[in-house]
Amino acid sequence: MATRQQHHNGAPVSIAHQFQHFRLLELPPEIVDLVENSKSPLSIKSLPPSSSDGPNSQPAYAALCTPTKAFQLRQVQTSNSLYVTQPALETHNDASAFTTRAFASCTTTLELHPQTEDAAIHMNRLVPTYDIVDGDVDTRENHISKARLFADIPLSDGQCEEAWGALAAFELSGSSYQPTANTLTQVWKAINSAAVAEGIKIDASFLTNDLASLVAEEGHPAPLAAALIRHLSTAGSDSEWSSLDRDKVLSFVATKLLEAKKDGSDYLTADFLDAWKDNLPELWRKDAELNAIQGKYELPSSKTIRAKSNTGAVTSAQPDPAKGSASRKWHEKFAKTRKK
Amino acid sequence: MPSIPLHPRSQAAPPSTTNPLPQLLHTPTGLALLEIQGTIHFPIPPDPSSSSTLVGTLAFPLYNPALHGETDTKWMKRAHFYVGESQRMTGEVKKLGKPFAVIARKGARGDGEEDVRMGGGEGAEELEIVEIVRFKVVFSHRPEPVGGGEDGEGV
Repeated sequence: MATRQQHHNGAPVSIAHQFQHFRLLELPPEIVDLVENSKSPLSIKSLPPSSSDGPNSQPAYAALCTPTKAFQLRQVQTSNSLYVTQPALETHNDASAFTTRAFASCTTTLELHPQTEDAAIHMNRLVPTYDIVDGDVDTRENHISKARLFADIPLSDGQCEEAWGALAAFELSGSSYQPTANTLTQVWKAINSAAVAEGIKIDASFLTNDLASLVAEEGHPAPLAAALIRHLSTAGSDSEWSSLDRDKVLSFVATKLLEAKKDGSDYLTADFLDAWKDNLPELWRKDAELNAIQGKYELPSSKTIRAKSNTGAVTSAQPDPAKGSASRKWHEKFAKTRKK
Repeated sequence: MPSIPLHPRSQAAPPSTTNPLPQLLHTPTGLALLEIQGTIHFPIPPDPSSSSTLVGTLAFPLYNPALHGETDTKWMKRAHFYVGESQRMTGEVKKLGKPFAVIARKGARGDGEEDVRMGGGEGAEELEIVEIVRFKVVFSHRPEPVGGGEDGEGV
């Protein structure tokens, strides 16, 4: 049994009558450094409260965001009492002493888990499509600016920016839009012909806004044209200057042509190849060959072509039963051999 | 706005108060973590002017930097928390695998009025990392009686 002598070597502990409120956030190694040394801004983002209603609502959560990464916050109950202490000079029973004073108690802590989902999932929910049907624009205003949109998505600004660029989304009069494949094909045609008309070399450096304003004269919003130009630019391009990337343009023109063919009718491969070439700048016309878009198309017959479905659920209704019947035949074969 | 800034730790001057804990547990702001299995109960203080109640003494019996040097860490294996008159808990100092950031509402330190909301809060709320704590003193066992008596404040 211990003696009371040790008692006097220790530091007195006191508990404050009024607790302060703190939260304890567990920091993974990759965050510790960022938090300790860098001045990069951190923020905690959550889905706006309104989005927690409705049938398609996402589970509400908050995320700690660095400029490029996001970490989902998960609250964990602690079974023990966890006190936050601070040294204090206190007077008890007319004697002053330095104490370790517990002035906050935490019943829960927060864990961080990397959040790598695609910001496009949120954008598809929040940003309406911008379609052009027979020359008329078909869309609606969501009154969500790009900045507000990013704040409403519990992912880092870097992740949001990446998805925004991949969608060629754009902001116009305080609303955000994502163009359809059909719209993008039309705007691309306008960009291509404006570049030809003005003698702009698109594979060399050109001013993004100069070309975008030429396209605006054709009736397309300049921010949309600028978004598409950036979408197709080489990796090193900044916001002011662009130069288009051959591989990006080749793949973009082909896949948007295929995606825009939504009516389900057959797209003859020969017709597609002609349309693809016609929509490419002259200097890349010769590069329009199917192996340039490997993995992005499928050939339902020897003469037709269609976009390869990413999910496998939307347009792959036809091949699935075929596979199913094939496997069923296998079972039948096995069954037959067993019976024998 | 659903986006709340979380400000990094400000490089404030260290507090002037002497910290009675071992050097290893010191942080720039003096904040430390103390974990106890159970809850400390103490009587309502008779003196309304006091803002805290002494509940016990924290001791590190093997801590002796004069003898073992500042780099010695063996002392971390043993800590005692004497509570009330007659109870003692045995614990240790643990290095946290993942350090804790202590987070508070920006500018809220000292008033103790409102809770920290992690997202979903209204208004222009801002949060700040007050401190990063890498160690905690843990007492994960039930208290044992010392010195014979068993009366006094319970744990």
